[in-house]
Amino acid sequence: MSVSKLFFVLLILFVFVAPVFVSEAFGADGEIVAASAIDGAEGVMVSAYEAVLDAEKAGANVSGLLARLNVAGEYLANAHVWYGLGDFDNATRFANLCYDVGEEVKNEAVELKNEAHGLWVTDLVVRMTGSIIGVVIIVFLSFMVWRAFKRRYHKRILGMKPEVVSGES
Amino acid sequence: MNLEEYRALFMVATLGLALIAAAPALSVVVPIRSGSERFSELWLLGPTHMAEGYPFNVGVGEDYSVFVGVGNHMGCSEYYLVYVKFRNRTQSLPENSIPSPLNSTYEFQFLVADGETWESLLMFEILDASVHGDSMFVGNVSINGVAFPVNSFSMWDSEHSGFYYQLFFELWLYDMASQGFQYHDRFVGIWLNVTAS
Repeated sequence: MSVSKLFFVLLILFVFVAPVFVSEAFGADGEIVAASAIDGAEGVMVSAYEAVLDAEKAGANVSGLLARLNVAGEYLANAHVWYGLGDFDNATRFANLCYDVGEEVKNEAVELKNEAHGLWVTDLVVRMTGSIIGVVIIVFLSFMVWRAFKRRYHKRILGMKPEVVSGES
Repeated sequence: MNLEEYRALFMVATLGLALIAAAPALSVVVPIRSGSERFSELWLLGPTHMAEGYPFNVGVGEDYSVFVGVGNHMGCSEYYLVYVKFRNRTQSLPENSIPSPLNSTYEFQFLVADGETWESLLMFEILDASVHGDSMFVGNVSINGVAFPVNSFSMWDSEHSGFYYQLFFELWLYDMASQGFQYHDRFVGIWLNVTAS
């Protein structure tokens, strides 16, 4: 067999065998990409949830954010389902969708928390000022009333004339 | 009543009024906790959205539906996970706060605000089932339009005349401390008498 014939046979073998290895390599690669995308989506989902929880604790209305985060949760659940079934393209697609929505929600939750925190601080200052002024006024009025009462009390006591009772025995 | 007694009365009245005036500021500083119990609900309703008419006699290639719902009474928004699992009579259910070791076929992830509920329709279909003597083999189940391999055998139950499987739902809750989902000690399920007609 000449060198050119051997080369030709090897080339044909390569053409038929190469796709098997290439597809396996791409399959394994797809699995790694999907797993990594799901990991990222899970991380964003958790940090978005924590941000929403912080905003809620700060007194913000988070119902809109929860609704959107539920959409992200649905995407993540789908990503897990497709990953389990070996459809790594769909798993990656859903994980990326979850990541995008989760990231948006996280950023908005942080903004909402800061807004709510600002309102909370204003509210706190108003409450504190109102309370302090209220307490000072009450203590002052009480002191004034007490002084007036004490004066009237002493006047009443001093105004009492001792009765002289003559002894008959 | 002498002057000292009047003074004590004045001081108590002043203190009481001062506390009332300070209440708005105190309410911010002193947290008021509600004494109510914290828990989550998990329920399953039939196709008519009532606690009746649950799928029981299940044939191959037919669609069935149930509603799964969760109620949050935990005091703040919670992040839930519901695993949908399929088992035969010999496979484990959750027990003593430990989830079933079976793999989930389907899952839901969602958040629920305190005092709110979440609900979703779940449609399922037995895609293939075959009888081999006194046992049945269910190969695939479709849930919400997605086919899942379950590859589950069930022996003939002579007492209840049927091949029984169970579709059940486990509730998991995201735990901040462990940075992961924890089984929330709640599950619901329905028995299915599968016929391979």
